[in-house]
Amino acid sequence: MNKWLKENLWRHVVALGMSFFALFPLYLVVISSLNPTGSLQLTSFIPREISWNNYKLLFDSPAIPYLTWVKNSLVIAGAVAVISVFIGASSAFAFSRLRFRGRKTGVQILLLVQMFPAILALSAVYVIMERVYRFAPSLGLGSQTGLLLVYLGGAMGVNIWLLKGFVDSIPIELDEAAKIDGASPMQTYWLIFIPLAAPVLAVVSLLSFIGTLNEYIMARLFLVEMDSRTVAVGLQQFIGGQYSQNWGPFAAGSILLSIPIVVIFLSLQRYIVSGLTAGSVKG
Amino acid sequence: MKNRFLKGIAVTAVLAFSATGFAVTPAHAANEIVVWADETRGPNLASVIKAKGDWVPGYTIKIVTYSSFDALKDAFDKATGTSGPDIVVGGNDWVPTAAKSGKLAPVTLTASQKARFNQTQFFDLSYKGKLYGVPVDINNVAMIYNTKLVSSAPKTFGEMVDYYKANKTAKGLKAGLCIAGGGMSWGAHSVFSALGADAYRMSKRGAANTVQSFNPSVFGANVKKYLLTSGKSNGFFPATDTGCKDNFLAGTVPFAVIGNWEWKDYVAKGFDMNLMPVPGIESGTYGHMFGSVSGALLTTFADKHGVAVGAKSLLVNFFASTEGQVKYQLLEGRPPAEKGAQSDPSVSAGQKGFGSAATLAGIPQIGAFLNSNKGGANYWDSAPAYWTAVLIDGKDPTIEARKLAAIWKGNVAAGKADL
Amino acid sequence: MTLLYRGKIALVIKIILLAVASAILLMLAQSAFAQKEYAISAFLLISVLAMNYVYLTSRSVPFKFFLPGTIFLFAFVLAPIIFTVVMSTYNYKTGNYISKQEAIERVIALGVEPDEAGTTFDIVVGKTSAGELAILASDVATPQYFISTKTKRIDLVSTDLTLNAYGVATTAPNFTRTSISDLTGNQDYTKIKYLYSDSYFISIEGQDVGAVFRQTLKYEPSTDTFRNLINGTIYRDNGKGNYADSKKQILEPGWRAPTWFSNYAKLITDDHVRGPFIRVFIWTVIFAVLTVLTSFGFGLLLALALNKPLRGRRMYRSILILPYAMPSLMSILIWAGMFDTEFGAINNILNTHIAWFSNANFARSAVILVSLWLGFPYFYLISTGALQAIPTELTEAAAIDGASGRQVFSKITLPLLLQILSPLLIASFAFNFNNFNLIYLLTGGGPRDQLGGEIAGATDILISYTYQIAFGSNVQDLGLASAISVIIFFLVAGISLYGLRKSKVLETFE
Repeated sequence: MNKWLKENLWRHVVALGMSFFALFPLYLVVISSLNPTGSLQLTSFIPREISWNNYKLLFDSPAIPYLTWVKNSLVIAGAVAVISVFIGASSAFAFSRLRFRGRKTGVQILLLVQMFPAILALSAVYVIMERVYRFAPSLGLGSQTGLLLVYLGGAMGVNIWLLKGFVDSIPIELDEAAKIDGASPMQTYWLIFIPLAAPVLAVVSLLSFIGTLNEYIMARLFLVEMDSRTVAVGLQQFIGGQYSQNWGPFAAGSILLSIPIVVIFLSLQRYIVSGLTAGSVKG
Repeated sequence: MKNRFLKGIAVTAVLAFSATGFAVTPAHAANEIVVWADETRGPNLASVIKAKGDWVPGYTIKIVTYSSFDALKDAFDKATGTSGPDIVVGGNDWVPTAAKSGKLAPVTLTASQKARFNQTQFFDLSYKGKLYGVPVDINNVAMIYNTKLVSSAPKTFGEMVDYYKANKTAKGLKAGLCIAGGGMSWGAHSVFSALGADAYRMSKRGAANTVQSFNPSVFGANVKKYLLTSGKSNGFFPATDTGCKDNFLAGTVPFAVIGNWEWKDYVAKGFDMNLMPVPGIESGTYGHMFGSVSGALLTTFADKHGVAVGAKSLLVNFFASTEGQVKYQLLEGRPPAEKGAQSDPSVSAGQKGFGSAATLAGIPQIGAFLNSNKGGANYWDSAPAYWTAVLIDGKDPTIEARKLAAIWKGNVAAGKADL
Repeated sequence: MTLLYRGKIALVIKIILLAVASAILLMLAQSAFAQKEYAISAFLLISVLAMNYVYLTSRSVPFKFFLPGTIFLFAFVLAPIIFTVVMSTYNYKTGNYISKQEAIERVIALGVEPDEAGTTFDIVVGKTSAGELAILASDVATPQYFISTKTKRIDLVSTDLTLNAYGVATTAPNFTRTSISDLTGNQDYTKIKYLYSDSYFISIEGQDVGAVFRQTLKYEPSTDTFRNLINGTIYRDNGKGNYADSKKQILEPGWRAPTWFSNYAKLITDDHVRGPFIRVFIWTVIFAVLTVLTSFGFGLLLALALNKPLRGRRMYRSILILPYAMPSLMSILIWAGMFDTEFGAINNILNTHIAWFSNANFARSAVILVSLWLGFPYFYLISTGALQAIPTELTEAAAIDGASGRQVFSKITLPLLLQILSPLLIASFAFNFNNFNLIYLLTGGGPRDQLGGEIAGATDILISYTYQIAFGSNVQDLGLASAISVIIFFLVAGISLYGLRKSKVLETFE
C-alpha cells in the first residue's frame, strides 16, 4: 500500500487536478445551454432552472437553420481537410524526397510565408475576392466556393510544413528500394508514400477540419446569406448583436457541434499523438 | 514527347474554346438595388419589401443580411464597391468616417420630405453640411423601475440611493441602478448627465455648445456623495452592465436603464412600462440620454452601378415614408423616426413610453464629438474607463473627472470641424 | 495497377483532367479580362501555361508535385502579403481610402451647393421635340413650370399643361415623356446638369425629383488643382493624398497616396506610436514565452504522471484532451464570462470581488491562465509521444548504473525530450506570438488607460494592437498597420529561423 502511494498518489493528484481544470469551463457551458433566460449563468454550480428551450430553438425555429449551418460547415471544413492535405502532401513529398535546385530556398520561403500574420492580410484577401466576384460571382465574395479557395490557400503553408516533417521521418530506404525497382517519383508517391502516410494525413486533415470549423472572422464577411452561413458565423450572431447577447442558443449549438468533434478526436487520439510528434521525431 | 505535348495542347485548346462560349453574367444587374442590413433588420426589411413589390418602379431590390451588426460594419469598412451595397442600413455614427473616406453619397430631400422628421435626426446623419441618408429608426434608453419594490417614481437621484441603502440587506439587493441596455458608455450617459457630466451641451436653439465642458469638481463631488462610501463603491451603481438585466428581472435591482429594442423581454416577464429618464440631483431635472437614429445611407457605389436615382427613390418612397416605416416597424418593433409613423395607432405603448422619456431628456447623439479621439480617447472608450477607475480601482473621482472633462472638451473642439 | 501510372490510359486521363482544368481557368481568365481585371487574368493565364508545361513535358519532375500548392499559395497567401507590404508605403487610412481618380470624382460631386432656399422640383423625364433629353419641372407651391435641357430652359404656363391631382405637370407641348422602363438602368439622363439659371443647374435626385445646385469646386486637369469658383481659393495636391489650400485646409475625401517610408518612420519618431509599440512588443514576448513554458510544464508533468499503466488512465486522457478538441472560439468566450467581476464564476469560487479585466496584472494573469488551459493538452499529447520515442534501454541502463529517478530524468530524459520537441516548442512560440483570437475574444487587448490617453492595452499583443489600428472602431489606419505587420513578420521569422538553426532542423537541407 505504501509503495502504491509513493508510486502512484502524485500521478492521480496531478491527473485529477488537471482534469478538474479542463472540465470546469465545459461544465459551465452545459449549464448555460440549459438556462432559459439566455444569459451566461456562471454564478451557481447547480442550475436553478433546467430547460431544453435553447436546444428546441435550434431545431424548431424557422429563423435559425441550424442544421443547414452545420451542413455548410461540414461541407466546407471537410473539403478543406481533404483537398488541402491532398495538395499539401504532394508538395511535402517533393520537398522531402526529391533533389532539385532551389530546394532549400523553397523550404525557407515556405517557412517564412506561413509565419506572416494572416489576419492583417484580410483586407487584401477581401479586395481580391471582391474582384473575382466581378467576373465569376460563384467563386468570389459571398460564395462558399470562394471561401473554400481562401481557406485552401491559407492552410497550404502550415500543412506542407507539418507533412514535410512527417515525410522526413519515413526511412528513405523504402523509396530507394522502389527506385531500384524502376518506379518513377509519381509511382513512389502513390504506391509507397501515400499508404505509409495515411494515418498522418488523417491527423493533419482532422486538424485543418477543426481549424476551419473554428474560423469566423473571414466567414462572416464571406457568407452573408442565411442559408450559406457556417455554424460558427450562425452561432456568433446570437452573441454579436448590436445591443443584446443571447448565450443560451449559442451554448447549446456549440455543445451539439462539439460532440461529434470530440468523439472523432477521442477515437483518433492514438494517431493524433503520433501525428503531432511526427514533425519532430526523426526516424 | 513533342507529339504528346502537341496533342495535349490541342485537346485543351478545343475544350477551352468550347468553354468560352459560356457568357459571363454581370455581378450586379443594371436595375437591382442592393441593400445591406444586420441580422434583425435584414429579414424584416426583406419581407416588407417583398410584400409590396413596387416601392421603386422599374427596379428590383435585394436585401443582403449580415450575421451581426459588427459583421455588417466590418464588411462595409472593407467594401470597395464591386459587390458592395447601394444602400446600407447602419448607425448614425458611421456617417462621419464613411463620408470622409468617400463611401457615402449625399442625398437631397424636398421641403415636404424634410418636414416629416425631427431636424436633429438629419443633423445626426450629416457630415460637413451634407446629408447622407434618411432616418429609419430611433434607438434610445430609458430607466425602468420595479413597481413591486418601488411604488412611485423617484424624483431625485438621491431618493434612489437612499432606497438602496435602506433596503440593501433586507431585500437582498445586488445593486441600486444598473445599465442593462446600451453599455457603460452610450447607455450610461444619462447617469453621467444626472450627476453633472454631459458629453457636450446643447444650447436653447438646439446647436451644440462647444466651448464649455462639464465642471469636474461638481461632478466629482456628486459621484463621491452618491456612489462612494469612504472612497469605495457603495454598490449602488456597478461599473459593468453584465447581469444587470437578469438581476432586474429577478427583482434584486430596483432601477435599470434599458434600451428600447429590448423592452419586449421585460413585457414578457410581466413588467408594466414604468419608464422615465434617470432623475437628476434636483427634483425635476433629468439625466440627458442619447437618442440615436439608424439611417438608410446612400453609398457612392450606387453611382458606380448606375442605380443612384433608383436608390434615392427607394430612400424616399420606402425608408422615409410613413407607409414604409409603419409596415417595417410592425415587424421590427423599434420606434420609427418618421412623424407620421410615430402617430400611427399601431405603434405600441412601449415604443411610446420611450418616446416620451426621450422628449423629457433626450439629446441628439453627435457622432463628430463622440467618435473623435483628439482629446486622447473617444467618448466610447473614455466613459467606461471612468467608471472602472473610480468604482473598481478606487481612484479619486474628482481627479479622474478632470481628465475626463479635458478629453471630452478636446473631442468636442476637434469634432466641431466635422459638423 | 501500373497502367494507371504509366501507359495510354493514364495519359488519356491525365490529358482530359488537364484539359478540363485548363478550360475552366481559361474561361475565367477571359471573363476577368473582359471585366478589366488584368492582373487576375494574367495570373490565371500563367497558371494554365505552367500547368500544361509541367504536366505535358518531363522538364521538371518536382514541379509536378509543387504546382497546385504553389498556385494556391501565390493567389491567397503571397499576393495578399505583397499587397500588405505595398500598403505599408501608402498613406492609407480613414479619409484616404480610395484611388486618386475616384477621389477627384467625389470632390467634384460634393463640390456643389444648393441655392439658399434649397429649391426642389417635381420632375418628369422625357425628350424635347428636337430629341434632346429634357425634364419637365413643376413647383406646385409657387406654382411654376418649365422644361429644361442641358442648354436651355423654356418657361411654361399651366394652361398649356396636363396636371395630375397634386398639381404636377405630366405632359407639355413639344415634350414626350419617357417611360419608366426606358429610364431604368439608363445613366445618360441622370448625368446631365439641366439648366436652371446662369449659375445654377438642376440635378436629378430621384425618379421624380430634381434639386437646384451650383458648382463650387472646379477641377483643372492641366494643373491638377481644384479651384473654388466662389472665392477663388486654389487647392493643390499636398503629396499626402489630399488637395489642400495654402492654409492647409483639405478637401475630402482624400486618396491613398504613396508616402514611402513615412509609416515606418512614424514607428521610430512618433512617441505616440513608438511608446506603445515597444511596450506591446515586450508583453508579446513575455506572453508567448510564459504560455509555452507553462503549457509545456504542465503538459510534461501530466505526460510523466500518466506514462505508466494507471487505473483510470484512459479516462484521464479523454478528459485532458477535451480543451484541445473543443472549438476554441466557444471556450474563450466562456472563459471571458467566467472572469466577470460581478457575476463570474471565478470571483464566486474565490469569494473575491476582483475586476479581472480592469487591472493590468490580473488581466495578464487571466490571459496566461486561459492560454494554459487551451495549450496544455497539446503539450501533454506531444510529450507523451516523445516519451514513448525515447528508447527505454537508455533510461534502464542509467537506472542500472545507479542513477536516481530524478537524475535519470534531468540528465537523460529531459535533454532528449527537449531535443525532440524543440521545433514544436518554437512553432508554438511563433503561434502564440500571433495568437490573435485569444486576446481579441478574451480581453479585447484591455484594460486600456483611456483617461491617460493610451492606445495600447495591457494585454494587447502586437497582432491585436495592429488589428486595432487597422480595423479599430472609428479611425482606421491600414498603412501604419501594414507597416507593423511587416515588422512583426520580420520579428517572428527572425526568432523562428534562429531557433531552427539552433535546433539544426535546417541542416538537413544543406
